[in-house]
Amino acid sequence: MAAGEKSRWGLYGKGLLVLSLFTRTGVLALLCFLAFSTEYANLKMGHNNARLVELSAGKPMRIAYEWTEKFLSLFGEPEEVVRTSGGMTWSIRVLGMPFTDPIAALSLLAKHHRWTWSIALGLIAPLTIAFFFGRVFCAYICPASLAFFVTSRIRSLLEKFFYFPDIRLHHGVAWGVLAGGLVVMLLFGHGIWTLILPYFAMGQTIFQAIAFGTLSVAAASLGLFLLVDVLLGKQFTCRYLCPTGRLLGWIGARQAVTIRRDAAHCLESCRSCADVCPLSVNPKVDETRDCSVCGECVTICPTQCLSIGREKR
Amino acid sequence: MKRRGFLKAFFAGTLLPLAVPLLDKLPGGNRLRRFLRPPGALPEKEFLDTCIGCGQCANVCPNKCIETYGLDGGLDNLATPRIVARSKGCILCMACTQVCPTGALKKLEPTEEGMRAVAMGTAFVTESICYSFSGRTCGACYRACPLPGEAMTIGQYEQPTVHAEHCVGCGLCEQACIHMPQAIRIVPIAELRERDTA
Repeated sequence: MAAGEKSRWGLYGKGLLVLSLFTRTGVLALLCFLAFSTEYANLKMGHNNARLVELSAGKPMRIAYEWTEKFLSLFGEPEEVVRTSGGMTWSIRVLGMPFTDPIAALSLLAKHHRWTWSIALGLIAPLTIAFFFGRVFCAYICPASLAFFVTSRIRSLLEKFFYFPDIRLHHGVAWGVLAGGLVVMLLFGHGIWTLILPYFAMGQTIFQAIAFGTLSVAAASLGLFLLVDVLLGKQFTCRYLCPTGRLLGWIGARQAVTIRRDAAHCLESCRSCADVCPLSVNPKVDETRDCSVCGECVTICPTQCLSIGREKR
Repeated sequence: MKRRGFLKAFFAGTLLPLAVPLLDKLPGGNRLRRFLRPPGALPEKEFLDTCIGCGQCANVCPNKCIETYGLDGGLDNLATPRIVARSKGCILCMACTQVCPTGALKKLEPTEEGMRAVAMGTAFVTESICYSFSGRTCGACYRACPLPGEAMTIGQYEQPTVHAEHCVGCGLCEQACIHMPQAIRIVPIAELRERDTA
């Protein structure tokens, strides 16, 4: 492999990392925007006039109102766009296109024994993506993962001063959480997932905070997950507790796009890729299950023997 | 051996969500007992089975009258939508019924027929505190009613009479009532059905 080509892969990995930060921020912004669109629709219906909005709700609201209107006009009639978009990553509709969390569909099937077209249609994109790209949801879409990413950085900062254990669990735990969650769901209702799934908790927190100005109970569970991440292990929640990640990893067990290792250049003593992986994948032994194609290992590899591409079978 | 490790981890995992029901045992405080479901909602039990709590109905509601539950309704109601008529009634625009992905809210059209198909509850007037029934002409509830002359008629001093068979329970009258506490209240359909079967 030529030297130029080697360094390209490192840059490529960094590019992916930046891209993932970008898309995750985008998803967060989308959720915030959707939550605010409730307020916008309310003002639109009530006043339909920027000056009246300013008189009734103040100057900042007028600015927000006008920008929202401008932004929504890019996609069509603002009221129509607001009417066809909404929700959170649990079940979201963007410009009329539904997306459903596989766990939501599973939960509905377990409790109600019936699906709707909307749910089935919404499953197509997530399942296809998971099948070919594995857990990319975790690195590129999950709105809570940005918080986990930041927490893992804070954790490594704190590790310079304090000792934190890095507990490793068996992958079966997340399956157990899924099964236990389904049982609790059957007893109580679908709402309990807001407390179990970090991204649902994040969505709920954002929606409640922006649309209604209240603090959701889901914020507490999200806080708990972040605390667990700091105290018990790097990205502990994503690695061992999140049932969605486990499910997507299982669906993408034979994912087409993943990390590839050039064994000839790999150093015997180096473990940096396995250490840096947020999802405890070990590229060193060519283990690619659960890979979210986040690019962290590609960036850190000192010999640049890792790349991302099609899995050879 | 490998299977044993998995099973151990699996059972440990199942225990974690079982901590969630403990939240239901928290001291309840003022639990809100009377609330409405959005228009087109299935019967209460079926609704709870079907609604996944995605919040899309609350998201599209241009009236911001649909809120989602926190823990104040118990775990069963967590993240499900509710309308508290006294703070904001439903304007029957049917936007929420169009977006529900699971069919927990049946699709209804924003037409008069669609409006009449709604069954969220029924209004009841407390005559002893109603202004119109104590000689002070009011009529605020009648002015707010989206089906005036059908769901509600008024007599002398604008005294309201609710016609239960036509009242859809949108809650606009309860919101509009100028008496404090309100002299007209919506009793949710779930509560009415419960009462009928008891």
